[in-house]
Amino acid sequence: MSPINKIVILYGSETGNSQDFATVLSQKLKRLHFANTLLPFGDFEPNDLLKIKYLFILVSTTGQGALPRNVHENSDGSKRTFWSLLKKRNLPETFLNHINVAFFGLGDSSYPQFNYAVRKLHNRMVNQLGANELFDRLEADEQGMAGSNKNTGSGVEAVYFEYERKILSLLRSKYPKMKDSQGNRVERTEIDPSIYLEPNSYLKLINNNTTTTTIDSVNGKSQSSVIFTGDDSVKYGEVLVNKRLTSKDHFQDVRQFIFTDCDNSGSKPEYYPGDTVVIYPCNSDNDVDAFLQNQDQWLPIADKLLEFTNGVPDSLRCIGGGIVQPLTLRNLLKYHIDIKSIPRTSFFIKIWQFATDVTRMERGEEQLNDQRNKLKEFAYDEDMQELFDYCNRPRRSILEVLEDFLSLRLPWQFCLDYLPLIQPRSYSISSGPCDPNIELTVAIVKYKTILRTIRKGVCTTYMSQLPIGDKTLRYKIRNNSLIKKEKFDDPMILVGPGVGLAPLLSVIKMSNANEQGKISLLYGCRFKDKDYLYEDLLEEWDQKGKIRLYPVFSRDRENSPDTKYVQDMLWKHGPQMTELLVKKNALFFLCGSSGRMPLQVRITIVEMLKKWSGFVDDSSAKQFLKDMEKNGRYIQETW
Amino acid sequence: MSKIGLLLIHPAISTTPEMVVNAKASAEQKGFKFVDQYLINKVNDGSIKLKNDNYDVIRYLTPEKPEDIKFPKKLIELLKNSLKVNGVLYGLSDVYKIDAVINGFEIVNNGKNDNDEYHWIKTQENHVAPQAISLKTKTNFSNESNKKSLPSFKKASLPTFKKATPDVEIVKTAVITDDLDDDLDNENENDIFSNSSKARFLDINDDDDADGESIDEDDLVDGKIGNVSMIICGKTKTKKKKACKDCTCGMKEEEEQEVNRIRSQQEKVIKFTEDELTEIDFTIDGKKVGGCGSCSLGDAFRCSGCPYLGLPAFKPGEVINLNSISDDL
Repeated sequence: MSPINKIVILYGSETGNSQDFATVLSQKLKRLHFANTLLPFGDFEPNDLLKIKYLFILVSTTGQGALPRNVHENSDGSKRTFWSLLKKRNLPETFLNHINVAFFGLGDSSYPQFNYAVRKLHNRMVNQLGANELFDRLEADEQGMAGSNKNTGSGVEAVYFEYERKILSLLRSKYPKMKDSQGNRVERTEIDPSIYLEPNSYLKLINNNTTTTTIDSVNGKSQSSVIFTGDDSVKYGEVLVNKRLTSKDHFQDVRQFIFTDCDNSGSKPEYYPGDTVVIYPCNSDNDVDAFLQNQDQWLPIADKLLEFTNGVPDSLRCIGGGIVQPLTLRNLLKYHIDIKSIPRTSFFIKIWQFATDVTRMERGEEQLNDQRNKLKEFAYDEDMQELFDYCNRPRRSILEVLEDFLSLRLPWQFCLDYLPLIQPRSYSISSGPCDPNIELTVAIVKYKTILRTIRKGVCTTYMSQLPIGDKTLRYKIRNNSLIKKEKFDDPMILVGPGVGLAPLLSVIKMSNANEQGKISLLYGCRFKDKDYLYEDLLEEWDQKGKIRLYPVFSRDRENSPDTKYVQDMLWKHGPQMTELLVKKNALFFLCGSSGRMPLQVRITIVEMLKKWSGFVDDSSAKQFLKDMEKNGRYIQETW
Repeated sequence: MSKIGLLLIHPAISTTPEMVVNAKASAEQKGFKFVDQYLINKVNDGSIKLKNDNYDVIRYLTPEKPEDIKFPKKLIELLKNSLKVNGVLYGLSDVYKIDAVINGFEIVNNGKNDNDEYHWIKTQENHVAPQAISLKTKTNFSNESNKKSLPSFKKASLPTFKKATPDVEIVKTAVITDDLDDDLDNENENDIFSNSSKARFLDINDDDDADGESIDEDDLVDGKIGNVSMIICGKTKTKKKKACKDCTCGMKEEEEQEVNRIRSQQEKVIKFTEDELTEIDFTIDGKKVGGCGSCSLGDAFRCSGCPYLGLPAFKPGEVINLNSISDDL
């Protein structure tokens, strides 16, 4: 791990927006010779706290106002982090008074908990622990209706750039001089944007007595099997079942995916309902080949052994899952580099200057300049509309951008600096507690945009193509401790439309009781005949009295005449559901897609409490829900 | 008892007074007595001046672990001066061994019997025996402090240029901002003691998150928003419009229609016969289709109504084969 700097940039990011802004800030500071450390908030080492002077925090808010996972967890999944430290009650109110902070929050005012994450961090760090705030925080709103860009007609990027401007001008005015190599104090100058900043650690060929070692490859496919080193907690699974659950004519492919640990030591995996599996996917050999064909200057060394000049880069280490061995460009492209992801601003900032190859330009110099300028525009234009239209809206991948910009000749040495890394994805477990056959219920991500080729999710595509018996699946189990053990004695209302059913299956399998009516399951999908997941199993459980099943179909009038959504079903059985919640101490567990569904369920429950249980107004009913949440009786797992 | 000692105390020691008692007891065993006792920050800020060649023993007491000790380097010389020749300094660690050697201390790791603790001895001035020290430190030592003390390490330097790729300059910037230190170092040395009294809170593994130990996150959002900076010049005029994941306002349908419209346009392009395909071979001069001439350049350069939107840039010398990129859900 690199030593910590006096300037530290921490981000809390769910989808990568905050991380990208943080990366841009880090680059801009470096170009002014302000070295800095860039980390996920959760990976900041508390022991470094006393060494730092400036702390810049960029954090987004997830749907329900929670902090992003990489704030309250480190990359190993541990919850003992900088944030758990900051929450300790016994900290003195001068605890952070040696640190200067500035906050940037990213949120969406269509959710009631707008920018709660940044407000939580701000309140704790500034108001309660005495950090010195350099300027009032900025809160960006995707909707432009609230926060710093309220009614300005400007997007979140305008708020970010304001944040960046404030930081740069503040530091520049405080530290107008810097030292040159002789230790003389000279005027601080900016490194020209056309110069590439060398990363702290990058790749080089291993030279054994002037010859390089090549890994055998046949037809461009690496022959020798790969292993992953540096993360002992990653496990390997053998695929047992990989079966489509939805009918062939349904648009969505949902899989029953079962695997077991390859380690035959007989020890059972430890997990309980609500726990998740994270999976480390990889790219297809076809995509890797396409990349190498595009950057064909990489081909001669694609299978040669490489090493890092200065240790494994932080960004790679923080993702976990180990580093591929043998370390070659081909293996890095397959297992670590996210060539199918949508490029972000920081990608263009780092690569635009490598648009240098005029030989691949049909129209010569003129086209080369056009491409350079366009790439630079994507990198630096504060109005990110062009980039959005070109990349985000059609979900265009880095690989496709490279195909469009043939002038780009990327240096392989720095590929881990300018290309994003494949992130693991997490899936709820459907199997019963500690079952050695770990079962997932996974919707395969596929959709179309204006781009001719269908968009596919990297991880679900990878999983959907794993054959039975494959033993290469890399995974980790994450224990989330969502449901307290004693709650399994109480009645339960389980609500999970679509693949929201996944964790609920685990809950039902855990309960051994056959008490009539103890578990109510509200399940929703589009059509009874097309995407009704585990129809037979659910109805069998219903007949045996293990659960009371309430299925609802949103686009199937025939089978669901008076209800469309799970919240309609809640309302339909309002008196009985309300009694379970208020009188029977029932657990309410809600899973599925984030967005409106969980909000509408919540609103429905508030109305139910008012109508059938004597709560006089909204606030008393909402308070009841809040208390349920506090006591672990109202649990929401949405994604 | 003629030997006299000086006891220097870190401010955070007040939380563990038994350390002071122990130190005094051990002094008696070793045959000397502490005649002075000061808080280290008083010495550091100059409000207490130490006499030269005065003490036989100096002991520094701090609750920090040896490898985490933070100590102002400038004080090491001061302590040396106030010790008699062959005087002993207890309480600092190998974190500062470079400074120890520079100031003419000999480091004694442990003596003939195991009870002898780690200490430094002031050697005769101008007669420093050459001493080999390992520059390697234990891995858990802070890299930063090592780097600072090693004169051979590069200070933040102006870029040295090299060219890794033709036409592109690569520059290595400082990994650590040393130039910030210039303004901050003094400030920081004075902060060391107030900071390290915070150090005892830093262990994240020392106790359980038993209820009551930690604040409730939800209490941090109390409805009071406080001040928020507004943006001054919004340079971006256009607000990106994108349907929400669970759109109900109709924008999602609009987007889908747009996607379908463009894709059906692509279909028309694809329905060309082999002969017709050569007609849209952009690689042959004079056969360019589309008055703007940008159709072949890829979406980033195409007009908003271009029939080729969504198709890759056409490569020179290649007839576009749209079948190969056709794909179905």
